[in-house]
Amino acid sequence: MTGTTSGAVDEAPVGTPPGQALDYVGLATRIVSFTIDAALITLVDIIIGVGAALILSLLHIPHDLRVVLTAIGAAAYIIGSIAYFAGFWATTGQTPGARVMQIRVVTPDGTRVRPRWAIVRCIGVILAALPLFAGFALILFDGQRRGFQDVLAHTVVVEAPGPSIADVSRAKKRAIYEASRRQPPALPE
Amino acid sequence: MTDDERARSRSSLLSPVIGLGSRAATATLRPVVGLVDAAAGAGVRLQRRAVDRVLESDELERVVIVAVNSVHIQAAFKLALESEGAAQLVDSLFDSGLIDRLFERLLESEALWHLIDEIAASPAVTAAISQQGLGFADQVGDDVRARSRKADDWMERAARRLIGRGPKGLPPEPDASIP
Repeated sequence: MTGTTSGAVDEAPVGTPPGQALDYVGLATRIVSFTIDAALITLVDIIIGVGAALILSLLHIPHDLRVVLTAIGAAAYIIGSIAYFAGFWATTGQTPGARVMQIRVVTPDGTRVRPRWAIVRCIGVILAALPLFAGFALILFDGQRRGFQDVLAHTVVVEAPGPSIADVSRAKKRAIYEASRRQPPALPE
Repeated sequence: MTDDERARSRSSLLSPVIGLGSRAATATLRPVVGLVDAAAGAGVRLQRRAVDRVLESDELERVVIVAVNSVHIQAAFKLALESEGAAQLVDSLFDSGLIDRLFERLLESEALWHLIDEIAASPAVTAAISQQGLGFADQVGDDVRARSRKADDWMERAARRLIGRGPKGLPPEPDASIP
């Protein structure tokens, strides 16, 4: 599904160039992207959680304090998850999962999402998931493939084709090789 | 007296005569033999000198290059390689067990494994392997992306059918009969 941008781009080198047609991304691609992100967050949390549990097992902590620490851990998990998504959406517009799937969260005119709207979008994701994920079903029927969180935060999710990780790695290696060839050979002393 | 005893007594009578004859012949031919040896030695020396001169000269290089570039020699070489004899030669080489023995010795060689370790640890090889891995990940990523986009359209079509609304600007469903 394709739309066309009309507004000016006031910021964001990461946004879609003005006037360029936006290809809106559907539910399946976004589920895959979210799954990759969820896997990453879970992996990091498991590592941190196991580390913290091992450290705490060496200390004799009272039960009440243990409950407080658990609450702090849960709060850290929620804040960390929100920071992860909001941070990526407000900076590059792409979480690692979105980078893999080559999609990006932008405003309807193709510019970068502002931090406060990124946080609103995070809250929107939680709200969309509450009624048995019905908020996400909106993506299937909306003309711009927007879910509840997109409607709430005035965002759209668009295609962002770019070089793959392998291409970037190859380009880096080629640049290093060419730079090394350009350097004059060391003169013998 | 038997025939054998008679023959033995005759040979014992003749042996001094034969020995005398052979000594006389040796003494007579000694100067000739020495002359022949000297001539043969001179011939070998001459031959070696000639070979050395040929090897040192540019002519040999020219001859080799002309021979390699020669269409006739190339054609003859090609014919020889394509011949039944060449195939039989290769077969007999493998049947002889020489190749097996060669590989056995190679596998026993410390130097070979050292060489393999060096190659495996070389930056070029490790870079190539990592590129290969990334290339594979790329292929998988491309495939997942393509399938997820198809799934996007399919889910949307299905949802719209479910609520009785027609497709809205979606690409047509792929024809199952087209491979």
